[in-house]
Amino acid sequence: MADSPTFHAVVFRVGDLICAAPAGIVREILPPLPATRIPGVPGAVEGLVNLRGILLTVVDAHRLLDRPRRETDEGPIVVLDVAGRQCGLLVGEVKDFVELPSAAVAPRGQLPGVDPRIVQAVGNRGGEHFVILDIEALLAPMLGS
Amino acid sequence: MDHAGYAALFLTESREHLRACNQALLAWEQDPAAVEPVDALFRAIHTIKGMAATMGHDAIARVAHSAENLLDALRTGRVTVTPGLLQLLFGAVDQLANGVEAAGAGTVPAAHDGELLAALDRAADGGAVGAATAEYAVHQILPAGRAVSVAIRADAQMRGGRAMLALRRAGSLGTVTALRPAAAAFEREDFDGRFTFRLESPAPNEEVVAALVSVGDIAAVTFEDAVPERAEPAARGRQIRVDLRRLDAMMKQVGELVVARNRLVDLAIRRGDPELEATAERIARLVGGLQSEVIQARMTPVGEVFDRFPRLVRDLGRDLGKQVRFEMEGEDIELDRAVLDEIGDPLLHLIRNAMDHGLETPEVRIAAGKAPQGRLLLSASRERNSVAIRVSDDGRGIDRSAILARARRDGMVDAGTDTLTDDQLLRVLARPGFSTARTVSGVSGRGVGVDVVATRVRALGGTLAIQTAEGKGTTFVVHVPLTLAIVRALLTSIGSERYAVPLAYVAETVEFDARSVTAVRDREALVVRDRAIPTVHLRDLVSMNDGTAPKYRPSVILEIGERRAALVVDALLGQQDIVVEPFDAPRGMPSFFGGATILADGAPALILDAAALL
Repeated sequence: MADSPTFHAVVFRVGDLICAAPAGIVREILPPLPATRIPGVPGAVEGLVNLRGILLTVVDAHRLLDRPRRETDEGPIVVLDVAGRQCGLLVGEVKDFVELPSAAVAPRGQLPGVDPRIVQAVGNRGGEHFVILDIEALLAPMLGS
Repeated sequence: MDHAGYAALFLTESREHLRACNQALLAWEQDPAAVEPVDALFRAIHTIKGMAATMGHDAIARVAHSAENLLDALRTGRVTVTPGLLQLLFGAVDQLANGVEAAGAGTVPAAHDGELLAALDRAADGGAVGAATAEYAVHQILPAGRAVSVAIRADAQMRGGRAMLALRRAGSLGTVTALRPAAAAFEREDFDGRFTFRLESPAPNEEVVAALVSVGDIAAVTFEDAVPERAEPAARGRQIRVDLRRLDAMMKQVGELVVARNRLVDLAIRRGDPELEATAERIARLVGGLQSEVIQARMTPVGEVFDRFPRLVRDLGRDLGKQVRFEMEGEDIELDRAVLDEIGDPLLHLIRNAMDHGLETPEVRIAAGKAPQGRLLLSASRERNSVAIRVSDDGRGIDRSAILARARRDGMVDAGTDTLTDDQLLRVLARPGFSTARTVSGVSGRGVGVDVVATRVRALGGTLAIQTAEGKGTTFVVHVPLTLAIVRALLTSIGSERYAVPLAYVAETVEFDARSVTAVRDREALVVRDRAIPTVHLRDLVSMNDGTAPKYRPSVILEIGERRAALVVDALLGQQDIVVEPFDAPRGMPSFFGGATILADGAPALILDAAALL
């Protein structure tokens, strides 16, 4: 991040929290898909979805970040590369694909009310702050060994 | 084909020839006067030599060359076979195998073992030292066949590809050796389009030129010292080699086709249009046929895995000082390649166990009134939709009282238990780290390692069973499914959720109702034909608390060996072929889920692992 003059990210909203994932690890964005529940796994795991014949584990970002889901949100899925695997993150709404000058990204920034362990950086877009999530730290506890 | 393609073929074909070498050596050892094994060995080593030279693996070619010299001396009667010479040849075959594997792994084969080479050469010369090495040197400079130089036009596109193609054409006429530069160099930027090789072929020069020029962009073909030699006719069956990945891809596509077919049939029935239904039915039949063809194409005889064991058993017998007659049955029984690839290691483990812990030394056997030579049987047989593989020895059997004492001490059985059934015995043996071995041996290591075998077999969706009688022997039975990719399953439901139960372990289905329930040792059990079967409520397993369990519920009786359980579900939805789909299981997923699939309507569903429920 420090080396590149600009930073690309996919910005999405989870409840009332604006967050982002580095564009490099975002595979695609899916419309809401019915998920099959997997009993016995952490509560944030939404379940399995059928992504064109491939099974994908989807984790609900609302439960993961402890943000209540807005009733009007349909719940699109952001497909991410995590530690060599693919995992879906169910979010409230995908807002934008942004390109920010590095100066607008504070690598070790923090925001009040957000667990610092899952914050990779804090971005600033037109005065609005958003959390660039440390996707691996966020999702690793959900994935099997 | 590119260099990587040839390298892969070199590896698979060399392995086959090395297996043939070991088989021939074992047969020869049994009957030193036989001629056929010597010829087979000679042919196999000759082929390996030729391929290795073509591919530029000189270290392999050199060992093969020296072994070939020795074999020639043995064949022509200049040298007589002795156990020592056979051992030397076993060593040479091992050396070749190491070289081939190293080449396959992309590493440079280790420099040839000078001592082995010297010993081979000395032996070939009837024990005298010196002359053999000189002869080898001559062979190096002047191998059989004519030297061919090929130049590809300087302005040609893809010179490396042309060179490969030309080489292949030459190879179709005879045996290609001494390739310079090595095939790997063809892919390089600085390859100038010139290469030389030796060709052993009965074809006249004109024919060779015609074959090479047909590749296109060939500027020149020149020959030196044309000494045509009779080439071995290549065996050409009506078979082709197919990359396993291609078959895997085909299998995956067919799997999806099966799912789509199920969906189509589903829709057609709901529409109630007879024409659509008839078409859907026809497609369903065609897809079913295609599916079994593709599965058939992936089927490989278990002999491919079995073939490496005779040599292993022989070597173990020598190391452990045990005499053994090793027999194999049902080598032509076929299994899905993917299953076969996974089954080799567990079998190896069981055979080592049998040799190490099962069979006794000749002295012990004689003292026990048995023949000094033990018997070890490896057999495969088809049983319904699975294959049973048995590893059976006539050794000392397992000491039940020792295992029982151990199990009692560890609290695995009630203190009052005074006998262990085979089934209980296996459960004790298959505990991780369990060991009653008195000594640690280099062969099967510490303890029995049954846990490793059981885990691997379970991972394949198979089961492990044991039968043992003290003083008479032990048999391990491995049941594996014919194929991993597609299984017939019973679809069940809990509330709105669906779960698949593989049919392989379903004995029957019965109605569950409170009147046929009893309790055995505080556990709920279902009475089916006067037999109490412990129940497992799928509702509890999947933590479904919607409180709407129907009053009368079907129960699926699961059965593995002597173990049974009644799986109580809300409803049975019917049988279906399901494709087991790979997926990354989230942390904490219960072990009783054996996988997942995609149902006819496109929704994912989890597959229950019967073995884990029992």
